[in-house]
Amino acid sequence: MATPNQFYFEDVEIGKVLETPAMTVTDAHVALYGGLVGVAAGPGGVQDFLPLCLSSGLGWRAPQPPVVVLAFMGFDWKFLKPARVGDTIRSASKTVAKRLLKESGVIIEERTILNQRDEILQSGKLTLLVARRPAP
Amino acid sequence: MDAQPGLTFEDLRVGEEYDSPGRTVTEADIVIFAGLSGDYNVLHTDAEYMKSSFFGERIAHGLLVLSIQEGLLERGRPARAREMLVGIKWKFKGPVKIGDTLHVRARITALRDSDAPGWGTVLVEREVVNQLGEVIQSGETEHLVGHRSG
Repeated sequence: MATPNQFYFEDVEIGKVLETPAMTVTDAHVALYGGLVGVAAGPGGVQDFLPLCLSSGLGWRAPQPPVVVLAFMGFDWKFLKPARVGDTIRSASKTVAKRLLKESGVIIEERTILNQRDEILQSGKLTLLVARRPAP
Repeated sequence: MDAQPGLTFEDLRVGEEYDSPGRTVTEADIVIFAGLSGDYNVLHTDAEYMKSSFFGERIAHGLLVLSIQEGLLERGRPARAREMLVGIKWKFKGPVKIGDTLHVRARITALRDSDAPGWGTVLVEREVVNQLGEVIQSGETEHLVGHRSG
């Protein structure tokens, strides 16, 4: 997995804001996700966890190599405004804390999910276990 | 919002417990979720790489399992007429592998007034349990549930 287009714990900069490309949430997303997980759409016609799921994929397309995530450890999240079908969402994130463990590291990432009007739909903190750079 | 059948804030009690049906997580679930979310992390998609990993095989996306438990709990408790999810504090404690069967245990831990007229705040503790009885995800969700007259 140690390819040059990946970031490791040591490469993660605290405070650097990373924005993902945007994606329009469609009826197809709502139907596919609803069928897969069996969750009815929320107040805005989009399931509550769907924007976060889409942001996890958008994160891979950010203008920086993806961090080697070993495990998603937890998150603390607020739903501020319902997403609607037709909204074009993207996420902005920054690492706010790093802690080195023996063979890996923990990073705390602040993430917001925004719509096309720059309104914050959801936001919170994610705790991720990430790989350390392998010894050369 | 249109009135829909279902429970209101007044119908809920602290200590009320729900136990959801079970669901077996399949390879297809993981493949579809990778395609839908765009999260193709090798953890979820590369069977060969994962053979030599700590987990020994592909594991389900944490957010897939989180989403599945939401669906299971919807099937495991009476519907509410009006409800909004406000927040979640969640821990991913262990991996879910292909073939694992999950169910959700949930309990109402607090009911209180909210700042939103016509709505009450409900706190729910949840545990996602696998077929071995291991809690693999757990946390607390905060909801607004509509009052009867709201």
